[in-house]
Amino acid sequence: MLEPMMYIGGAYKHSQLIELVEDLGGYILQKNIMQSEVVILMLIPINDLNIVEAKSKELLGKLTRAPLSGSEIATIAPTLAYHHLPHLDCDVAEFLRKQGAKTNMLGLARGVGKRICELSAYERDLINEHDIAVFILGNYKHCVIEKSRKLYEGIEIPIVVTGAPELKTEEVPNATAYVGSFGRILHHMRHAEELKTLDRLSEVIGKVLDDVRMELAKDPPSVAPPRIKKEIEEQIPEIVDNLHPLPITLQMNGVRVKLPYKEYHEQIENIKFVEGVTMKEVARILPSKMRDFILIKALPKSETGFVI
Amino acid sequence: MDLIETFIVETTDTEVGEKTTRMLIQDTIADLSLTRAIGRLKVYVDPELPLFIFVALLRLGAPSIKVKDFAKVEMGDIGKDEVKIILSQETNIGKLQSKLWAKYGKDNILQPDRKILVVKTDPLKDMDMLRDMVIEEPKQEVLDRLIDAIALRIIPEGFRVRKHELTNDYVIFVASENTLKPEWVAKGKEILEFLRREDNA
Repeated sequence: MLEPMMYIGGAYKHSQLIELVEDLGGYILQKNIMQSEVVILMLIPINDLNIVEAKSKELLGKLTRAPLSGSEIATIAPTLAYHHLPHLDCDVAEFLRKQGAKTNMLGLARGVGKRICELSAYERDLINEHDIAVFILGNYKHCVIEKSRKLYEGIEIPIVVTGAPELKTEEVPNATAYVGSFGRILHHMRHAEELKTLDRLSEVIGKVLDDVRMELAKDPPSVAPPRIKKEIEEQIPEIVDNLHPLPITLQMNGVRVKLPYKEYHEQIENIKFVEGVTMKEVARILPSKMRDFILIKALPKSETGFVI
Repeated sequence: MDLIETFIVETTDTEVGEKTTRMLIQDTIADLSLTRAIGRLKVYVDPELPLFIFVALLRLGAPSIKVKDFAKVEMGDIGKDEVKIILSQETNIGKLQSKLWAKYGKDNILQPDRKILVVKTDPLKDMDMLRDMVIEEPKQEVLDRLIDAIALRIIPEGFRVRKHELTNDYVIFVASENTLKPEWVAKGKEILEFLRREDNA
């Protein structure tokens, strides 16, 4: 099993750490160099964690668990109007991003009101392409509960709801988890208390993701998403010149490739692994609802009968 | 925030809703610098109906700025059809110029000196009109911001059915997701009376 970890330290000699992780059979998910500091998100085999820890200590860096890394999260506001944006939505999205998740912000077309709110089929499908949906709702207990009854119809991924009242998860219908003390906030969240609330949100999402991981481990994907990423990077050179943020976005059981489906799906289907199988044997290559991107979902072991 | 004399949020959701709504209104008013424009303010929210009433007594103060407030309007040179505007300060020249351009066209406005504008027009006909020309209406501008604050930021988006009354002294906004009932509109008026009564006391 691979552990999602984040390393923060000096840029000096950080390549040694990267090499170590690769030698151990781990994966580097993301590397950001900011002036003299480097932030690396990686997956490390759980048994070799202490070796990496020793190395990071030697380099005077900090190694922490980042349960959000390798996931794609949708932060969803009822609309894109000033009522919800920019502050609260962006704060949540940015905070989760800092913790290692890839967040996409979504504004619904008709998400307002507790009686008239609805999801369109397109929105529902788009949300279902993510690992977790975070719904950012408002101030009133009655409204949060009433709205939750209707709005999440057809969403199959875990739903995390935020709002102002302190409710128990059981009180909010259809929600996997609920985090209070948010609500409709029209200022930048920077006070100590507000930052604590954001911390609590990332903690809750981390737990939900861990549950998803546990569930996946029962019937593991035939190929690990970071492996798919690595093979695409090695076999499709065009991905290097791709200017989208995170051209290959990792998800819990697949990846999103930001290349046009029409032109590239065959090339991706025919990617060869050293084990002798091709991509189409271990994963489904689907057109994504997001622009004309490609969505790759790894097949579970129960379907293919093997794990590479 | 102390500039607003009365600031009441009344709601059935007293646990959290009251506090957050208050914070939301404070943020919006500060963002759009409306603290001076609002004298007294009361908001009534019932999320179950649902109903949102926003009533405020306004103090719009600042009168509109006219050309004669900051400039002398004179006849142009003898024998020419011109009006000369001599400005005492340059602050409003941009707005004045664009108003004049819109009215007479760029060709007919000359600026021989920094603080002098010459308009090619019949001075007997237009001089008085130019003197009283309104360059800026701070009142209107404040009202625009107020509507932006109330209608586009404070009242929840789902509350699409709205009735409002806006004058120079007060504003009433009644909003709901469902058809408005006459008693809700009456409640808005009642709150206005309440705010006024308190004013007299």
